[in-house]
Amino acid sequence: MPLHDVGYRKWQGQPTSQISRFQIITSTGIRLASESRWVRRMLFFAWLPVMYWGVGFFVIERAMESDSNIVTDTMEAANLPPLAVAVAKQHTRPFNDPVKISRLLRNQFQMIPQVEMLAFTIETGDQTQTRNIVWRWLLMTFFRYPQALLILFLIGSIAPPLISRDIRSRAFLLYFSRPIGKLEYIFGKLCVPMGFIVFVTTLPALALYVFAILMSPDLSVFWATWDIPIRILLATVALVIPTASLALMLSSLTQESRYASFAWFTVWALGHGAWVAVLFATAIQLGRPPMYAVVMESATVKNWSVLSLYNNLGDVQAWIFGFVPFEDVWKGVVMLGAVSLVSLVVLYRRVAAPIGV
Amino acid sequence: MPLISLTNITKNYRSMRALDDVSLEMDAGITGLLGPNGAGKSTLIKLILGLVKISSGSGSILGHRLGRDGRQIRNKIGYMPEDDCYIPGMSGVEVVQFSACLAGLPQVEALRRAHEILDFCGMKQERYRTIDTYSTGMRQKTKFAAAIVHDPEFLIFDEPTSGLDPEEREALLNRIKLLSRTAGKSVLISTHILPDVQAICDDVLILSQGKVVLKDRLENLNRTTSPTIRFRVLGDASLMMACLTEQGLTATQKFDGQIALEGTHDVSDDLVERIWSAARTTGSTVQSITPARNSLEEIFLSTVNATREATHAAS
Repeated sequence: MPLHDVGYRKWQGQPTSQISRFQIITSTGIRLASESRWVRRMLFFAWLPVMYWGVGFFVIERAMESDSNIVTDTMEAANLPPLAVAVAKQHTRPFNDPVKISRLLRNQFQMIPQVEMLAFTIETGDQTQTRNIVWRWLLMTFFRYPQALLILFLIGSIAPPLISRDIRSRAFLLYFSRPIGKLEYIFGKLCVPMGFIVFVTTLPALALYVFAILMSPDLSVFWATWDIPIRILLATVALVIPTASLALMLSSLTQESRYASFAWFTVWALGHGAWVAVLFATAIQLGRPPMYAVVMESATVKNWSVLSLYNNLGDVQAWIFGFVPFEDVWKGVVMLGAVSLVSLVVLYRRVAAPIGV
Repeated sequence: MPLISLTNITKNYRSMRALDDVSLEMDAGITGLLGPNGAGKSTLIKLILGLVKISSGSGSILGHRLGRDGRQIRNKIGYMPEDDCYIPGMSGVEVVQFSACLAGLPQVEALRRAHEILDFCGMKQERYRTIDTYSTGMRQKTKFAAAIVHDPEFLIFDEPTSGLDPEEREALLNRIKLLSRTAGKSVLISTHILPDVQAICDDVLILSQGKVVLKDRLENLNRTTSPTIRFRVLGDASLMMACLTEQGLTATQKFDGQIALEGTHDVSDDLVERIWSAARTTGSTVQSITPARNSLEEIFLSTVNATREATHAAS
C-alpha cells in the first residue's frame, strides 16, 4: 500500500470556469508537440531570422540619422572595392529624397523580392512616413519569406497528429464524456498550431519592432509607427486562421497522421506548383525571365495566383501592411476565407461523427 | 426522486432502431446493465451522457433534462468506456490529471487528486510510464481512475473487469462496492460477465433488441417462484430421490445433477435429519444443503430468448 494512500475522498473544491476548459486541451497539445526533437529544433531555428532582420533595422535606423555614414563606413571596413564605396557615397543620406531612394532601391537591390513594392510606395507615399514604410516592408518580408516557409514545415510536423491521433486511440470519449463541447474541443485544438505560429512569427515580429524603436533616435518614433503592431497582429490573424483550419481538417480526415502530413505538403506544393507552371509558361510566351515585373504583373499570372495558398497569404499580408490596394488582393481574401470556412465545417462534421455513432 | 427517469425513449440510427420506446427509472445503488450484443446498451449509455440525440421521448438524468443539459449531466457523471481511450505519449498520471482538468479541477489540485486516486486504484510507480506501454489491466485501472477522479455523483462503467486477472477483478469490484456503499455513489455497470453483476449489484436491467425486458432488484430475481432447497448427492441420485419421495417430500433432479426439494426455504434440523437418513439408507453422501436461488444466467437467457421468440412471432 502506498505510504500516502488515503482511500477514496470526496472533492469539494471550486471547479474552474467553463470558458477556460479549452486551455487544457491547448496546453496539453502544445506540450506533447514540443516533445518532438524536430519541432524543438525548428523552434530554435525559427528565431534566427530575427537576427538578420534585426541587422536590417539597425542599418536602416543608423542610415536615417542625418550625419550617418554607416553604409560607406561599413563598406570601407569590409574592404569593398573603392568604386563601390564611391557609388555608395553618392547616395549618402538618401532618405531626404524619396525619388532618389526609389531609384537606389530599384537599381541596387533589384534581386531582392518585393523591393519594387517598397520603391513604389516610397515614391508615391507620404514623404514623412518613410521610416514607417521601410519598417512595414521589412516586417512584411519577414512574415512572407523565412517565417512562412518555416510555418509550412512546423505546422506540417505538429498539426497532423492532433486529431488523427485522437481518432486512432479513441480519445474522443476521454474529452466528450466530460463537460466539453465539440466547439471547445475544436477551438482548443486550433489554438495549438496557432500558438506555434504566434511564437515563430508574431512574437519575433513584435520583438523586431521593439528593437527598431530602441534603435531609433528617440521614442517619439513610436507615434509615427504605432500602426505597425496592429498590422502585425492582423497579419497573424490572416495567417493562422486558414493554415490552422486547413491543417486540422486534414488531420481529422484520417487515423494516420502521416497521411495528413502528406496531404498538408501536397496541398501547398500542388497549388504553388501550378502557379509556377503558369508563371513559366507566361515567361516563355513573353520571352522574358519569369521574375521580371512584366511577367509577374501580367493578367494571366495574377489570375492564377489564387491557386497558391502561399501567394494568397503573401498578397493579403501585403495589403495588411499597406503595400497593395484591396482591389488587387480580394481574390486572395476570398480564397483564404473559403479555405477557412470549408475546413472548419468539415472539421466540425468529422469531430461530431464519432460521437454520434 | 429517481436518479434516471426515461419515458418512451426511442433512438434511431437511420433505418435501425437502437432503442425502442424505453421507459425506466433508476434509483441509487449499483445497477447491472445486461443484454446481448446489439441490444442497445452502449446507445443507452451515450444517451445518458448526452452524446447522442434522442429521436423521441423525454427524460431526466440527475435532475437535468435529457437532451438539453448535456454539459451539466456530464459534470456529474464519471464514465469508464469499454474501449481503450487515451492520448498516446502521456503517462498514466498525466491521463488522470488531464481528465480531472477537463472536468474542471484546477491543475495543481488535479495532479494531487490524480495521485490520490491512483493510490486508491493500486497503481504504483507504473503511473509514470507512458500509457502506450501499459498492459490491459493497467489501462483498465487508469480508465477507472480517470472516471472517478473528479468525484462524480453517478458512475458508468462499461465492461470494467474485461481483461483483468481474477485477483484484479475482485479488487476492482470491491472498489466499486466501496464507492457505492461508503462514498454514496450510484453506479451503472454494463457487462457480459454475469458473476460480476451477481457479486455487487443491487438492481438488474436487461435490454434486448432495444427494449427493457427486465428491471428488478437482484434479490427478487434470485428468489425462486416456489421455495426450494438444493443439495448435491455423491452416489445414486435416483435412489435418493425415491427414498425422499417415500418420506413425503417433492424431490426433483436438476440439469446440474443437484436434487431440489420444493416447498421449503428453511434448512431445519428436522429436514437435514431426513435427508441424512435417506442418504444412509441409500448409501450416498450429501453435500452443500442450501436454499435454492435462480441463477442470473438462467434469468438472462430465458428473458432474452423469450423476447426473441416474441419478436419472431410478431414478425
